[in-house]
Amino acid sequence: MSSSSPSNRPRTIRVLLAKLGLDAHTIGVTVIAKSLRDAGMEVVYSGLKQTPEMVVATAIQEDVDVVGISSLSAAHMNHLPRVIELLKAEGVGDKLIIAGGVIPKEDGETLKAQGVAEVFTMGTETATIVRYIEDWWATR
Amino acid sequence: MPDGKSVESYVSKREPIEQGTSSDDGADLDANFKRWETETLAPALESAPERKEKFRTQALKWDVNRLYSPRDLEAIDFDFNRDVGFPGEFPYTRGTDPNGYRSRLWTMAQVTGFGTGEDWATRADYMLEQGLDGLIIEYDLPTTNGLDSDHPLAAGEVGRAGVAIDSLEDMERALSFDFSKLKHLTSVCNGPQPVNLAMIIAATEKKGIDPASFTLQMPNAILIEYTCVGRYIYPPEHGLRVATDVIEYTIRNQPHWVPIAVVSAQLYAARANPVQELAFGFSIAMEYLDSVLERGLTIDEVAPYFSFITGVDMDFFEAIGKLRAYRKVWARLLTERYGAKSEASLRLKLMSSPGTMSMTLQQPLNNISRLSMQMLSCVLGGGAQTMTSPLHDEAHALPSEEAIAVGAAIQNIVAHESGTADTIDPLAGSYYVESMTRRIEDAVMAEIEKIDAMGGALEAIKTGYFQRELAREQFDRNKEIEDGSRKLVGVNHLAKDDEERQIELFALDPGSEQRQIERLEALRKRRDNTKVDAALGRVRAAAESDENLMPSVLEAVKVLATQGEICDVLREAFGVYTPDSLTSGV
Amino acid sequence: MGNALADKVLAGHVPSAARVIRRLEDGDAEGRDALTALYPHSGKAQIIGVTGPPGAGKSTLVDRLITAFRKRDKRVGVIAIDPTSPFSGGAILGDRVRMQSHAADSGVFIRSMATRGQLGGLARAADDATVVLDAMGFDLILIETVGVGQDEVDVIKLAHTTVVVCLPGTGDEVQAIKAGVMEAADLFVLNKADLPGADEAESHLATLLHLEMNDREWERRLVRTVAEKGEGVAELCDAVVAHDVYLRTSDAFTSRSAARARHSLFERLRELALERAIDGIERSEELQHVLGAVTRRETDPYVGAARLWQALKN
Repeated sequence: MSSSSPSNRPRTIRVLLAKLGLDAHTIGVTVIAKSLRDAGMEVVYSGLKQTPEMVVATAIQEDVDVVGISSLSAAHMNHLPRVIELLKAEGVGDKLIIAGGVIPKEDGETLKAQGVAEVFTMGTETATIVRYIEDWWATR
Repeated sequence: MPDGKSVESYVSKREPIEQGTSSDDGADLDANFKRWETETLAPALESAPERKEKFRTQALKWDVNRLYSPRDLEAIDFDFNRDVGFPGEFPYTRGTDPNGYRSRLWTMAQVTGFGTGEDWATRADYMLEQGLDGLIIEYDLPTTNGLDSDHPLAAGEVGRAGVAIDSLEDMERALSFDFSKLKHLTSVCNGPQPVNLAMIIAATEKKGIDPASFTLQMPNAILIEYTCVGRYIYPPEHGLRVATDVIEYTIRNQPHWVPIAVVSAQLYAARANPVQELAFGFSIAMEYLDSVLERGLTIDEVAPYFSFITGVDMDFFEAIGKLRAYRKVWARLLTERYGAKSEASLRLKLMSSPGTMSMTLQQPLNNISRLSMQMLSCVLGGGAQTMTSPLHDEAHALPSEEAIAVGAAIQNIVAHESGTADTIDPLAGSYYVESMTRRIEDAVMAEIEKIDAMGGALEAIKTGYFQRELAREQFDRNKEIEDGSRKLVGVNHLAKDDEERQIELFALDPGSEQRQIERLEALRKRRDNTKVDAALGRVRAAAESDENLMPSVLEAVKVLATQGEICDVLREAFGVYTPDSLTSGV
Repeated sequence: MGNALADKVLAGHVPSAARVIRRLEDGDAEGRDALTALYPHSGKAQIIGVTGPPGAGKSTLVDRLITAFRKRDKRVGVIAIDPTSPFSGGAILGDRVRMQSHAADSGVFIRSMATRGQLGGLARAADDATVVLDAMGFDLILIETVGVGQDEVDVIKLAHTTVVVCLPGTGDEVQAIKAGVMEAADLFVLNKADLPGADEAESHLATLLHLEMNDREWERRLVRTVAEKGEGVAELCDAVVAHDVYLRTSDAFTSRSAARARHSLFERLRELALERAIDGIERSEELQHVLGAVTRRETDPYVGAARLWQALKN
């Protein structure tokens, strides 16, 4: 698929915020969804109890630029690598994949080695996340 | 005095103030106030301006005045007998126990849960040895979602956020600690509460434990789950029916146990301010009350079984005002709306949990100070019959044994060393505390009326009102920490730049999940599956009729039907709930 | 020379289809080129608008309809519309939460769309998206609208079959439905029909069914549903299919398609004309003169616009 040059880049950044597995903490995604919306982005939220297959299918149908996984349980190590694997298999591995929540340092390192661009631990300012996405977008 | 001077020489020499005959003389008070402001305060402000432009309470954002005086009591038409009264009597502002903590201290509890049943039992014994007499058992995510350990969604979660309980045998293992030391057990299960209750009944029966020898408290707080926690299973009306079955069954068959705890602490954890917490919590409580009353019981038969769990945060006086208002509002609602008469109905049963939301990841030792202060505000607010202390290194990790010991010590230090438990409601009469209490009470009653106008708590949940209000608070609270308008030591104030925010997820033995799954599979082979199918069929029949679910669920549990299997039967009968993003708060 | 992106869409490649929809939403040339190649392959699907006041339960109903149609081996596309924030231009798109059980079904394609606040822009984006999904082979395309504003009426114009979802209430069911939508409605659904007041609501609506017949070889009908429990969904499914049969066996499908085509054409023409006109006028010297005159109230905006138009033509 052709990549977009800056002159005909999509007008708004589309982001998928997803929660995998049984983790039901929604405060983080709620706050981040609003911050991203306030920064002019279109945020697709896929709800709770999602499997990696559901998240990837959603990411593709919605043509999102960014896939943000929120994890406040052990979900990230079980499900997130599978999400990355599936995205790559579908040929859309060039989406920005970020993760946030309660993710220990070692897990973060492992995830980054697998293709997660950045891990934002709980307590990261929303402005930091917004900036990170915008900076990435500008260099596309 | 140490330097040889007399006490008198230390007393500042000032001219006695010209006063009227009594210190409550209004005109003189106002005159004195003005004089103080211009002569004493103003010069002080010139050399030392105030630290902030606006002083506000932490959660409610109400203005905090420089000082409070009799004027403030006049403003609320304060009447000691009506507004404060005496402990153990309406309106219970001073407490529900006539003798405060002078006869009985609160039950000291702590929460824990991880791993398998036997892991929990070992931890339980340890905790009871530390001087705690109450335990709170948390279950893992698959269990609280009504799923067995081998369900695809359960992968990686078995035994992590709590204990894994698939069958009666797991529950028997969990309850194999020294029961003689236990006064109180809270079993935190919501969606699958009937299965949980059935397992506890069957397990204690098998072990010969007298159900009257301890208090089992079940949150059964499914309406809170729809609002802010997310561990619901069935659509709201069915969730309410299931919860009501548990309440009714317990009242009729296990009268020593507490079948409902409105966990307003979860609302607090979702950033509800004290007014929202109490108003949403009480509206939810009334939804349950109404539902149980439809089963033909009277208010005084039902209300004594209602309990509440709250959390307190760092704002000392908001916390105290909230706790005092909590008791008043419950008593008022029951008398004004339900005509309750018995003391047992009107006396609020409350468990308080200091500050789960105010703990920081950074500089975790600071959390010990925070917990101590909050524990203190609980005691001064006459908080509770039971108090739990979360653990200072909590932030999503398994609490260390040291943290458990420190937590228990905090409760004991406050109880035995501070003297605050030795007198009842010592802050009564304080101009600030009484103003705060009343203001919270009034605001809560107004918000409850607003929710009434919407059709009650169930409607508010279905239309997403609670969720939207909480989402707004969440966003605002986060913003004020990010923009620094609220100072959090270690995070945005006196933070150490190079401090690594260490997150430790509990390192669950990786084989543990596999062992639990194997155990489950073996159980399914071992048991009499004909009996299981028949029992599940009866659960289905009960679900589709008006019959109380408990008897059939109890029977199913005894023939070793798993909790996932029982919940699946109910899923088929009731359907599964998916909120839209409006009602989920996003 | 074919269009590579369009070829992939026709072959069923979801990422390509998603990319084309995005490009079209942005009004991008790459999108339009793909659309040109796809357009001849469209025109087969039944487009169903699902509208109604907020709280009527549209999302749940759509979810249950998808299930029902999938059981009948139909491939279903969904466009779920949510409002854009007027302040930031961003949006939170959460409609699909209720439809996520279908997320990983390759026979279902759900696309969340923000209104984006441009007059007419939503209808165009939705229209273009239906062309893509249609060309891709989806049998039915459900468009679920926000339920407020002109957008709703505009989107309804895109549909072959308009389903209006109401709730039992205080008798306001009827008032809640916008006039333009009421005329276009082919099917009424009384959802949450287990609530008190359902019978009254049904009789209110029933009188309307017979009053407003314009077409009308098609007899409008009312279906009672309790979407959450799946009750009445099969009947609604049947009614939708029946309407499709009616459309195709009468000349209604062709005439509606012609009306759609005309509408689409004129909308594009209007946009194009406006775009070109404004572009031309921005660059003209006349603009400053006219602007000044109108500001000083020497000329009114009507006369001013005519003057600019004249200048543009010359």
